[in-house]
Amino acid sequence: MTAVLTTTAMPPAATAPTALRRALPLLAAPVAFFVAFFAVPMVVVLSSSLAAGGAPSLANYARVLLDQYHWDVLAVTFRIAALTTLAVTLLGYPLAYYLVRVVSSNALRRSCVILLLLPLFTSNIVRSFGWMILLGRNGLVNDTLVGIGLLERPVRFLGTEMGIVIGLVYILLPFIVLAVGNALATVDPTLEEASADLGASPFTTFWTVTFPLCLPGLIAGVIMVFTLAASAYVTPALLSGGKITVFPMLIFQQYSTVFDVHYGGALSITLLVFTLVLVALAGRIGNGGGDRS
Amino acid sequence: MTSLRAAACCAALMAGTAVTHPAAAQTSLTVAWYGGNWGDAFRTCVAEPFTKATGIKVVAEIGTSTVTLAKLQQQKGAPTIDVAWMDGGISELAQAAGVTGAIDPQAVPNLAKVSPEAVYKADGAVYAVGTGYYSLGLTYNTQKVRTPPTSWDDLWKPEFAGAVTIPSPANSSGVPFILFLNKIWGNPANDLSKTFARLKTLDTALYFDSSGAASNAYQSGEAIVGAHFSVGAWDLADKGLPIGFAVPKEGVWATDARLHLVKGTPRQTEAARFIDTALTPQASACLAEKLYLGPSVQGVSVAPEVERKLPWGVGGSVKNLQLFNWADINRDRGAITDAWNREIARQ
Repeated sequence: MTAVLTTTAMPPAATAPTALRRALPLLAAPVAFFVAFFAVPMVVVLSSSLAAGGAPSLANYARVLLDQYHWDVLAVTFRIAALTTLAVTLLGYPLAYYLVRVVSSNALRRSCVILLLLPLFTSNIVRSFGWMILLGRNGLVNDTLVGIGLLERPVRFLGTEMGIVIGLVYILLPFIVLAVGNALATVDPTLEEASADLGASPFTTFWTVTFPLCLPGLIAGVIMVFTLAASAYVTPALLSGGKITVFPMLIFQQYSTVFDVHYGGALSITLLVFTLVLVALAGRIGNGGGDRS
Repeated sequence: MTSLRAAACCAALMAGTAVTHPAAAQTSLTVAWYGGNWGDAFRTCVAEPFTKATGIKVVAEIGTSTVTLAKLQQQKGAPTIDVAWMDGGISELAQAAGVTGAIDPQAVPNLAKVSPEAVYKADGAVYAVGTGYYSLGLTYNTQKVRTPPTSWDDLWKPEFAGAVTIPSPANSSGVPFILFLNKIWGNPANDLSKTFARLKTLDTALYFDSSGAASNAYQSGEAIVGAHFSVGAWDLADKGLPIGFAVPKEGVWATDARLHLVKGTPRQTEAARFIDTALTPQASACLAEKLYLGPSVQGVSVAPEVERKLPWGVGGSVKNLQLFNWADINRDRGAITDAWNREIARQ
């Protein structure tokens, strides 16, 4: 670890011992924080998942992986996460583009960003309860759709995957807008001007210059949104009305009401591993895109 | 070197807590209780009279029963919580986890006034005492449901299709409610398959995880009839919403909020005194007025307007409540939750 620290933390001009002495106190706090609040709990979960009846065992994992039910729940969880990510991207990318490229007044852009971030200051629980009221049978959404004649009778949103996706999209939209907006802001406009000078249409310029250049930002946003959606508990728990089960709900049940930390631990590690695999795949796609540009 | 610094840092932090703790201990008692109207009622009915009589400040540690149990397990050996309120069910788990200390009848003279059902013993020692009962009864929207429901079977009436709510196993009442239905329907105790088959035919708006989600559903009209806790239902009614609460002919499943003396607390005497305060007829009557908890202290009388709202309904008593053995429920909890997930919680 020390070797890694010296190579990464050493400024080229400083001598090695001085750099090390300067870097260590700076690193001590984050490392201690990381160990105490991430590594230790992770090890606790992992070790409890590898024990059954007081002895080391893989029985908990067998119980999770050899049961078709868990694969079905996993499929529902990732389907909801993927739909959320898709919807958030389709809504968030144009919004980020608009904020960075179209809005010319700084003050207006700043107020738009504040508006976008404002919901993050409220708890997920409160916001999900809000959606329960809006999406209910007699809620604002149904009343409006029936009122303007688009629907004959109220549609059921609560207790459907659609309802969960709506709630998650609302909560996760700011993440993708910020990630894409940042990437867009750093794209050098002269590159686009050069493309236009060479005769490319605005659309071609966007697809061959702007979009590939901000792809890393988009991928970062997509990974963030996907992992947050796959691990979300509060929103699915409230908006599913208990009729759809996602993996985090199974984990919560084991830890909070059944008190089986071994089975619960195995469920947690399973979700973590599958999410990491999917994120790694997305990262590869992101790198591939980066190479092309 | 990094780890050395981290260790020094931790040691400094621990030294900091060690220095501040005894000083606070002389003047305060830490009591774990629930949030919302429950916490407010515990403060008004028990903590404030206790502080008035003893001068000892009460510091509230707010959390649900499960969270409190988790905290007690973390603090085992050196507890910072002295007294803890936990619900039936979690109380038994806390006892099994070895975090509850013995409540000495000598130090808590009011224990003699408590009805025997509310004094919980293990290995000859009292480990918990009930401070009031609440039930899971039929709750309905008085505007949309003209004739008040009188039986749990009414939930299956066609006119309520899609507007019913009952607890899910993630709620503390979820698993006992399934066992309760199994019992009132006369199904064999060791076979829940018929009960699950019947529950599958119930056309619900939602299954609620938290009491708050249930209140929200009744308030928004998403559910117009179903199960809810007596405390939550009357709270809605008191806020002026058209909500009624009924004890059906088959009865109601009920449990209680219990007080525990935390094992190993350095403030034994003060903690016992606090529990004694909670068991006075005044405190019990106060909790009945604020939360409509059915008094566990014998001979407590309340105003007729309050009595009507107690968990056993008009003219009832603790004898009318179906109080199950939590040890049985906890034993089957994993299997019942699993069956629910597979049978009910998927479309």
